[in-house]
Amino acid sequence: MPLQQPATRSADAEMAGPFPPDLHDVRHLWLKAGLLLLWALVSFGATYFARDLQVLVVGGWPLGYWIAAQGAVLVFIAIVVAYGWAMNRFERQDQQQREALERSAPPAEDRAHG
Amino acid sequence: MAERKPGSAEADRAYLWRLHRILALYVAGVLGFLALMTWAEHQGLSRHWIGPIFLFLTVMVYAGIGVYGRTTDPEDYYVAGRRIPPMYNGMATAADWMSAASFISLSGALYLQGFSGTPGQAGGLAYLLGWTGGFCLVAMLIAPHLRAMGLYTVPDFFHVRFGGRWPRVIAALAAVLCSFTYVVAQIYGVGLIASRLTGVQFEIGIMLGLGGVLLCSFLGGMRAITWTQVAQYVVLLLAFMIPVSWLAYKQLGNPLAPLVYGAQISKIADLEAQLLDSPAEHQVVQAYLQRAKDFESRLQDVDAALEREREKGRERIRALRAQNADVGLIVSASRELAALPRDAAAARERWTREMRENYERARPLGGLPPHSQAYAGDPHGTPEEQRDYELTRRNFLALMFCLMVGTAGLPHLLTRYYTSPTVSAARASVGWSLFFIALLYLSAPALAVLVKFEVMQNLVGSSFEALPTWMAQWARVDSSLLSVEDVNGDGLIQFGEIRLGADLIMLATPELGGLPYVVSGLVAAGGLAAALSTADGLLLTISNALVRDLYFQDTRRQASPEQRVILTKFTLLAVALSAAFVAALKPSEILPMVSASFSLAASAFVPVMVLGIFWRGTTRQGAVAGMLGGLAITVYYMLSHVPAMQALPRWLLADGLWFGIQPISAGVFGVPCGLLVTLVVSWITRPAPPLPRIRSEM
Repeated sequence: MPLQQPATRSADAEMAGPFPPDLHDVRHLWLKAGLLLLWALVSFGATYFARDLQVLVVGGWPLGYWIAAQGAVLVFIAIVVAYGWAMNRFERQDQQQREALERSAPPAEDRAHG
Repeated sequence: MAERKPGSAEADRAYLWRLHRILALYVAGVLGFLALMTWAEHQGLSRHWIGPIFLFLTVMVYAGIGVYGRTTDPEDYYVAGRRIPPMYNGMATAADWMSAASFISLSGALYLQGFSGTPGQAGGLAYLLGWTGGFCLVAMLIAPHLRAMGLYTVPDFFHVRFGGRWPRVIAALAAVLCSFTYVVAQIYGVGLIASRLTGVQFEIGIMLGLGGVLLCSFLGGMRAITWTQVAQYVVLLLAFMIPVSWLAYKQLGNPLAPLVYGAQISKIADLEAQLLDSPAEHQVVQAYLQRAKDFESRLQDVDAALEREREKGRERIRALRAQNADVGLIVSASRELAALPRDAAAARERWTREMRENYERARPLGGLPPHSQAYAGDPHGTPEEQRDYELTRRNFLALMFCLMVGTAGLPHLLTRYYTSPTVSAARASVGWSLFFIALLYLSAPALAVLVKFEVMQNLVGSSFEALPTWMAQWARVDSSLLSVEDVNGDGLIQFGEIRLGADLIMLATPELGGLPYVVSGLVAAGGLAAALSTADGLLLTISNALVRDLYFQDTRRQASPEQRVILTKFTLLAVALSAAFVAALKPSEILPMVSASFSLAASAFVPVMVLGIFWRGTTRQGAVAGMLGGLAITVYYMLSHVPAMQALPRWLLADGLWFGIQPISAGVFGVPCGLLVTLVVSWITRPAPPLPRIRSEM
């Protein structure tokens, strides 16, 4: 796998003409949707009900405060890591499938996998 | 998080190991230098030298890296040759990200605003959540897609995706607008630190810091900046962790502050309850209330009151002269007389402000909300309290939303992910960035809690005679940063009598905790590193937008890549100087300025960028309309509430607060507006379907 994009795209001369976004893989979209839902729950959901969660005290911490000050940030890290891991896995699977097809299609493009 | 390098070349691994070795040596060097300075302080090195030594040496190191990484190669200048391994890219991004606002102001804001701030000014943990949660959006929706396109700047995306010239021009202008607001705040922070550390004037401090910024970014572009930022990250992490760990160790016997500070939260709640009952605090509140009422009565008839005040001043000087008083007293009395407002309009403005400030301070706990209480007011209380609760919560969520979405749209952050070698490495970079940012952000609320405990426990109740010298020194830099005054005249410090500015608390922490002065120097160097690293990235973004995206987007202007890079460098110089000029006017506090630029970035870029990536139907016209629409709403809502704009006719301005949302979170209206406009206009201007059969089926 090449280390770099074709680096010859140096100046902006080739950047002509609009292009539509590549079709997104359905698995990728589901992954994104699931993780974004978790993201919204932890950030907006938990802080919306912070006053109610504040009553619960876990290990000396008022729960609402702990989630906003630490818990949510830890979940954010987990979301980003999980996403990177899953996407790498998908890409490896795709790669294997393509190799199985013995290059009947043009060589793999690097773009379009978020 | 494993390194996800394409495992092809042995050379890659050797490169990575070389970087690890250099980093380890550098960290050891910084620690060794700290030890050396501590030893020198023990040997009697004067405090007047420690500050300047830290300032000078760190800036020299950054400049050295900048000179070493100098380049005129466009690929290196714009995107660091796309060779930065994820971990280092994460570190550089973290330094780029954590600005003066994070390092200097965040802990202070958490100290002053507790969980959520007041109904009029939401904040507190919203900053923390907003500045970390946004990375989820960056990781999933934006960064890898942009990296896959192999671009150089963020406006490039609009050019490639939508074609034509207007999307790119508007994107470039929006990038300049939000980055410039942001960079002014950074340079303000640099001036603050440099003037405290070396005792020079604020304006000269700005110029000193600016020299440091320019040395790195001017010579080397993105490549030099990346490695400078890695160096700066190490300094700023150490500078934050050492005082926090020290305070935690001192108060709780365990230096791992984020794990143990929970114990102090309940103690602070108890101390707050005590302070609310304390008679001395009540006296302070009464005294401020009295002052506020005094100003209010003056405002009833400004002209007469002004005349009365002048007469009182003259009377006092006459009396002093008559009794042959000390010259110093007479001089200070006539200075007071001269300091009275010049005319009625100025008097009205100043007295209104002072009345408001005094009313503010006349509230219990000096106007600070209880530290761990989520939102002001009470959901089951009086209608007034219910309204406060509802408003605080709404503004908290709105601010968090703006900061998160703004994160996903800030051009200087997104450009960083162009420097990673592959798409997969870009994803890993986001993870590393968030990790390195979280190291500091998880400690910031701990610091706020520990400092508050220190103030409530040790400072409150001590005598004015024994006032620590650092308080006087800071009060001299700027009285809005710190003021302490014996309002009730009992010779003891009350909580209500201390007013700390948000920008001060981190910088004063080492002195508050009784650490050696070397740590103060280190903290100041950390603040400087945070401000410089962000300013570097921002200046580069602005000058790239101006030169690459505005000046050269017209293909008729022919120039070799080297000439372009040189032109970019000089634009950078001009932008830096004008930002320094604006910062020297001391426009506002750091945090509000930074938040405003987040709202701008959120509404200008994110809706169109996300739709452009995920919806094939987005058209050029839709993109232009969406960017303009979102930006227009945001700017309009913000400007409508700027005092200077109140001179315009009423009907031009927004009618009060919409849904009670503060102007700082104007992006809450801008983002949906941008989305909606893009969708509608794209739908209207959609190209005719290529297959007529579809139409006949309808």
